[in-house]
Amino acid sequence: MTPTTMIKTNGISKTVTTTQGQLQILKPISFDVKAGESVAIVGASGSGKSTLLSLLAGLDEVSEGEIYIDGQAMQNMDEEQRAQLRGAKVGFIFQSFMLVQSLTALENIMLPAEIAGHGDAKKRAMDILELVGLEHRASHYPNQLSGGEQQRVAIARAFISEPKILFADEPTGNLDAANSDKIEKLLFELNQNSHTTLVLVTHDSKLADKCQRQLHMQAGELTEVFATSVSEQAAQKVG
Amino acid sequence: MTNHTLSLAWRLFRHETKRGELTIILLAIILSVASVLSLSLFSERLKSALTEKSAEFIAADRVLDSNKPVDLAWIEKAQQMGLNTAHQTYARSMVFANEQMDLVDLRAADKGYPLKGVVKVAEQPFSPGTAINQLPNSGEAWLESQLFQTLAINLGDNIEVGDKVFKVTKVLTEVPDAGFSVFGGDPKVLISKQDLSATNVEGPGSRINYSYFFTGESDVLDEYYEWLEPQLDRELHDWDSIEDDESGIGRAVGRAGKYFLLASLLAIVLAAVSIAVAAQRYSMRHYDPVAIMKTLGAPKKMVQQIYLLQILFITILGLLIGVVLGFLIQQLVVAAIADKVDVSLDVWHWKPLIIAIFTGSVCAVLFSLYPLMKLFSVSPLRVLRRDLGANLSSRLIQFLASGGAIFLLMWAYSQNIEVSAILFVSGIILVISLLAMTFGLIWVGRKLGQGKMGAWQLAWARIHRRAMDNSVQLISFAVTIMLLLIVLVMRNDMVQQWQNQLPQGTPNYFLVNISQAQQPNLQQHFADNQVVIEKFYPVVRGRFVAVNDEKVRTAVSKEDPDEQNRGRDGLGREANLTWSNTLQKGTEVVKGKWLGDNDDSDTAEQRPFEVSIEEGIAERMDLSLGDKLTFNIGSEIVDLKVTSIRNVNWQSMQPNFFFVIEPRALKSFIPTYISSFNLPTERKADITELMRPFANVTLIDVDARINQLRNIVDQVSLAVEFILVLVLAAGALVLIAQVQASMDERQQELAILRTLGAKGTLIRASVVFEFIIIGVVAGAMAAAATEFSLYMLQTQIFDMPANWHIEYWFIAPIVGALVVGILGALGCWRLLSLNTSHLLRQMV
Ligand SMILES: Nc1ncnc2c1ncn2[C@@H]1O[C@H](COP(=O)(O)OP(=O)(O)OP(=O)(O)O)[C@@H](O)[C@H]1O
Ligand SMILES: [Mg+2]
Repeated sequence: MTPTTMIKTNGISKTVTTTQGQLQILKPISFDVKAGESVAIVGASGSGKSTLLSLLAGLDEVSEGEIYIDGQAMQNMDEEQRAQLRGAKVGFIFQSFMLVQSLTALENIMLPAEIAGHGDAKKRAMDILELVGLEHRASHYPNQLSGGEQQRVAIARAFISEPKILFADEPTGNLDAANSDKIEKLLFELNQNSHTTLVLVTHDSKLADKCQRQLHMQAGELTEVFATSVSEQAAQKVG
Repeated sequence: MTNHTLSLAWRLFRHETKRGELTIILLAIILSVASVLSLSLFSERLKSALTEKSAEFIAADRVLDSNKPVDLAWIEKAQQMGLNTAHQTYARSMVFANEQMDLVDLRAADKGYPLKGVVKVAEQPFSPGTAINQLPNSGEAWLESQLFQTLAINLGDNIEVGDKVFKVTKVLTEVPDAGFSVFGGDPKVLISKQDLSATNVEGPGSRINYSYFFTGESDVLDEYYEWLEPQLDRELHDWDSIEDDESGIGRAVGRAGKYFLLASLLAIVLAAVSIAVAAQRYSMRHYDPVAIMKTLGAPKKMVQQIYLLQILFITILGLLIGVVLGFLIQQLVVAAIADKVDVSLDVWHWKPLIIAIFTGSVCAVLFSLYPLMKLFSVSPLRVLRRDLGANLSSRLIQFLASGGAIFLLMWAYSQNIEVSAILFVSGIILVISLLAMTFGLIWVGRKLGQGKMGAWQLAWARIHRRAMDNSVQLISFAVTIMLLLIVLVMRNDMVQQWQNQLPQGTPNYFLVNISQAQQPNLQQHFADNQVVIEKFYPVVRGRFVAVNDEKVRTAVSKEDPDEQNRGRDGLGREANLTWSNTLQKGTEVVKGKWLGDNDDSDTAEQRPFEVSIEEGIAERMDLSLGDKLTFNIGSEIVDLKVTSIRNVNWQSMQPNFFFVIEPRALKSFIPTYISSFNLPTERKADITELMRPFANVTLIDVDARINQLRNIVDQVSLAVEFILVLVLAAGALVLIAQVQASMDERQQELAILRTLGAKGTLIRASVVFEFIIIGVVAGAMAAAATEFSLYMLQTQIFDMPANWHIEYWFIAPIVGALVVGILGALGCWRLLSLNTSHLLRQMV
């Protein structure tokens, strides 16, 4: 199987309007991510990691530049079209889990499938819940689950729609070491099994090291892209 | 809409209901429906019960008065439509007995009279009457007590009325349609309709009035009137209901009706406020789920459908519970007062139910619209940037939309643009000044709040930081307090006024025809019997001859509508003239100057004599300032110049006069005197003893009348009281809901402060301070806005004198601070009693 390009960016930047005028929080950036690849975005707090992720995931609009997700040009899409794209191809995991508080664990997992209008949601959700080891908590509400459990539910939810790309913003940021390990393991396992492209933001160098590539951010600029040990490629400077 | 959307919405609704997420908004809808339903159902029932009760005062639901007998087909038509009818003819006629005679109010009643109320009779003059379910037989007459005196007759004697002789068989003590003015009314004689023609009083030039009574369902009555109206001649006919009655009862009932309307309107506004507050909160709590769904690829339309469906479910549930609850509350209240109000309250009305459901749904939809629009605009980016709120931020639109909605609701409900506009404009004024105030205070507070972080500073800091949220909160508190104040003060003023009208000790007997020589003896005799006698008014009888040298006959017959005012008749061609230098209590000069006030002594002798006339008579006889009136008094002709027009309160139960003349004009005439006194109903038996030495003095007994009046007024007051309690309860609930909602918004902050180690006492004190500040400001502003709207309501709608309510300027802020502060403390205490981790977990 020849790896195709899953994410292609071309000079994307983000400028926001503040009370003090225009502020470019992301300088023009270009890079590609191949299908099935796992990429970590690292950098200091405030360096623009989440901003970059929000652009890649189509949660926000780029100010300049082009983004292609699985060949589709996202910069020309409106919010509705981007939502459709997200529903069809993208999964998410967040630092604060972002489960719907008034739905049970199982229903949270079913949510993307229901939004997409799939019929067999319940059965599939149950299967995935089993995969993350929480089948006995199916009818519990998020606030009845521990942080680690909530994140496992979130992962199950992310995988139910068999996304091509999985975006994760600090997936272990709110968890202790033991739980973090469990989550990381789960994430990579599922990533491997379903050949998903994984883009995650993290402060955790251990987690970053498990990814095939790392993008370093600094003050809104992508300073380096280097491959980790997994793919033995030399670090390369990005201009 | 897909099945998935529906099932998702339904599932969210089910879970959220179970988990109590929807409680606040559900409660708000329930509250609005329940309070509007119970209030308007109760007031509708009370109103119709009171109307029913007061209909006794015109002896029917509707009366058609006519100067000529009407086409019998009209009556038949009414009967065909299922209405009950009856008929009575009124004539002023002379009655003769024992060489004595008197002018009486002759009433010839037909079978069926009275359709409402009862006729009461007695076997002795001046003794309490008992209801009788029958009318005089042919050849019999029932006479009022005073006639036994003036005609010097006993039961069983004969009297002559016109060409016919009647046997006096009963003492007439009460008829329902007696009219309200005691003074100037002639004593009544009741005979059977079939004897009327034999008396021949119906001749040309006689003053006869034909009344046709109708009772039945009010919509049938309306329908009948619609049919009848085109055939009526306004010169001849007059269609009356108790609401048109200018008497005390008509006004009291009319005013009470307006009060109920006002109370229900305010309940609607309260409901709207509470729904608006709850919807705001509901929307904020759902920012996250919306952001999540959008992130997961939900199209905007789907999100909209899910939440609109949720609101629909909540509304339906709220309506159902609200209707049941409202009905129960109303039933409880009815049960509680059933034995205090002697009218049946169990007639079902559909209108309140429709209004309540309509109000509930309109409020639920309109007031959640803007918060929902805000909710829909939440960006999916919120999943990453947690502080991101909604994009939509035009509060102006929100204010306009909700304001417009409230106004339309009020208008639709009251069908009275005046009331709606008054309430609405005062609301707007309140809101605008509150916004200005908030920002002013916040600015001041920032100056004050600098320095060490005590509870006080923390409170100010919080108010400052949440300026906009606080101003919304402030507005909702202030509006609530204002509405409660309006209902409260309005009720106080109204009841006060009613009581002033008929204070304890109001004269219930009048004495007429007291000679000058008798006056001191009478005074002494009454004092010996512990009866206080009121002021003596001198009276001379005068025959009205001309207006501006034009013979009075033409002036009077130009219109002759004083038949409509049987009660205050007494003008005819003869009038009671009194003189006085001082203006009588309860009267005021509306035009011109009071007698002698334009006096300059040099020309005093050449000046024409002055007369002050009553407003109504001036209008009816087309008299104005400067007109010359000519009276024939004794055998002399006296010319008088109209120099003032007075407004007289005919319900005051005081002797009142159409004409008050300058004393010097009547110097040479020997007057008789009029006075009045109060004798408690229990002492009724003493009357004979009291009057024995003064056989020539005529006694007019209005005790029954006054008791009737007082009874109605008491019941209306009681009803108003209950409405007040209902509104206050609804208002309290709204306040609690508001505090709860705002507590909720404070939760996160409290949790953080708690986590940072702030002491519970500090947090509690700061929250309580915050609520106290809000309470004081809301109370003060509410007092100001209340003053304005009360002024408008009382002068424009309720027809009462407006006055200042300074006390509430102090009471409102204090009570506001207390109530809001205590509620805040309680809410805060509940929050702080939860442990911190629980709080933090709830926040996520
Ligand atoms: N809408 C905005 N308006 C103003 N500034 C913004 C906006 N969005 C982001 N920023 C700023 O851009 C910078 C990058 O933010 P971003 O959230 O991407 O950082 P981050 O690398 O994810 O940080 P962290 O590791 O703390 O999550 C920050 O300084 C942030 O304050
Ligand atoms: Mg970040």
